[in-house]
Amino acid sequence: MSKVWQWFLDPVHWQGPGGVPTRVWEHVWISLLSVAAATLVGLPIGLWTGHTGRGGNLAVNLANIGRAIPSYAILVMVLPISLALAPTLGYSPNLGLSFIPTFTAMVLLAIPPILVNAHAGLLAVDRDLIESARGMGMKETQILGRIEVPLALGVIVGGFRTAVLNVIATATIGAIVSFGGLGRFIIDGRLRGIAGIPELIAGAILVTVLAVGVDLLLGGLQKRMTPRGVGIAVNQRAEGAESPAA
Amino acid sequence: MRLTGARHYQEDTKMRLNRLPILLAALSLLLLACGSDGGGARPTVRIGSDNFYESRLMAEIYAQILENDGYTVERTFGLGSRQERAPVFSDGQVDLVPEYVGSGLGYYDVSQITGDGATNRDRLQASIAEFATVLGITPGEDTNAGVVRQDTADELGIDSMSDLAAIQDQLRWGIPPDCVENPLCKGALEQYGITYPPAQLESLAACDVPIAEALNGDAVDFAWLCSTQPAIVQYGFVVLADDLDTQPAENIAPLVRNDFLDKVSDADDFKALLDAASALMTTEELTTLGVAIAVDQREVDEVAKEWLTSKGLLG
Repeated sequence: MSKVWQWFLDPVHWQGPGGVPTRVWEHVWISLLSVAAATLVGLPIGLWTGHTGRGGNLAVNLANIGRAIPSYAILVMVLPISLALAPTLGYSPNLGLSFIPTFTAMVLLAIPPILVNAHAGLLAVDRDLIESARGMGMKETQILGRIEVPLALGVIVGGFRTAVLNVIATATIGAIVSFGGLGRFIIDGRLRGIAGIPELIAGAILVTVLAVGVDLLLGGLQKRMTPRGVGIAVNQRAEGAESPAA
Repeated sequence: MRLTGARHYQEDTKMRLNRLPILLAALSLLLLACGSDGGGARPTVRIGSDNFYESRLMAEIYAQILENDGYTVERTFGLGSRQERAPVFSDGQVDLVPEYVGSGLGYYDVSQITGDGATNRDRLQASIAEFATVLGITPGEDTNAGVVRQDTADELGIDSMSDLAAIQDQLRWGIPPDCVENPLCKGALEQYGITYPPAQLESLAACDVPIAEALNGDAVDFAWLCSTQPAIVQYGFVVLADDLDTQPAENIAPLVRNDFLDKVSDADDFKALLDAASALMTTEELTTLGVAIAVDQREVDEVAKEWLTSKGLLG
């Protein structure tokens, strides 16, 4: 452990393109971007299936298949495809080498919890409430926006937290395809053998601190966004949903 | 405490019962061996390998030769890189591993490495004499090599590492992250007048799939590969000549632990078995077998068996 301390205390590891601040920043932006993209895809589908009650099983099962494929496998499967498509689609082959495989793997990892929680959160909303709203003449979009989403918000944000946590921990594999991020320390440390073990452990600690820190931040946010009292009731009913700590 | 005592007793009986068939199998093997060869202890060989196809292939070849001669083999292949596998071997968790004599020597003392395989073998032997023996080397070798695409070689008119210094900044380099502290990588590049690190650099593990894909997909122009790597044949890459001889001779040899050899009644016979196979493994054969495994996706044990049979080594 003292060697890990020495690693952290060495100013060389805190400077330049290979330093901790740069790597943290790379790690944070790929994670944010992946979760944002996954939200754009997963949230509307989850809200639609949860609201209408149609296609829910199909969507949830498809999302879960995505979750079952290891991110590493997605990474190496996407790599040759994204490289081969670069000339046709006109993007830089370097994007095809590192960014696209990492981003794809992370988006596919983040979609399932977001989609499944949105779906389960809406399903858990009391049917009587929705029928009353319909009886009062509210439109479907109003029911969704004013009743279902606010009541299910705690569960929806919970899915989002799970996604963020998973992505931050897993984005480390991007280093295999030359993407930066905190995985660089882990992969490089591993390749350097025994001499690289302090670097490897330091990388793992940084990832853990980042993941737990961001999760606590989102946890605080989640508490604020859930209406008092409602959150507890909704969370209790949404038993099929992901718990953020999973 | 009483409970644990009872459980221990149960486990003991179970284990004894489990051991019975193994004991019988071992006994019958012993009898068989006595029948065919007129005696000689054949202890179980625990064979290890690094985690890539060529090391697995050599380990599998050793395994099949020994099995054919009546040894029982325990395979623990894929022990990681040399940095991870070497301690497993020196701690005595496996008895036999394939090793590249240049880099293997470099693991103990980089300054001793030469361009001659036999010299590297002898020096490696001296480094590990305390606990292990280096058997005969293959004539074939697999060294690290700078590789470019055919179109890059044609356009820029390059065919050797010396041609690179002048055009360093035009190229996008695919170099392993551990290059910086490896005298055979960073040191070699610097001998060729290449400034490390190059301006356009992608960190990709040497001899791996992503680095070969990156070169083929035009994400890098130069890649640090292995000279028998199947991707070179598969994609028609050009291996740049190492005209300053920076890379050590990397012939392959089995390393055997001495405490294991002591248990074998006829150690010379054991060595001769493996030496016979090593003597027939050329660079071309290594490349061909590598293509069969990595490109044609055939099983390592099948490829090993076919090669051994074709050489008449399983007779």
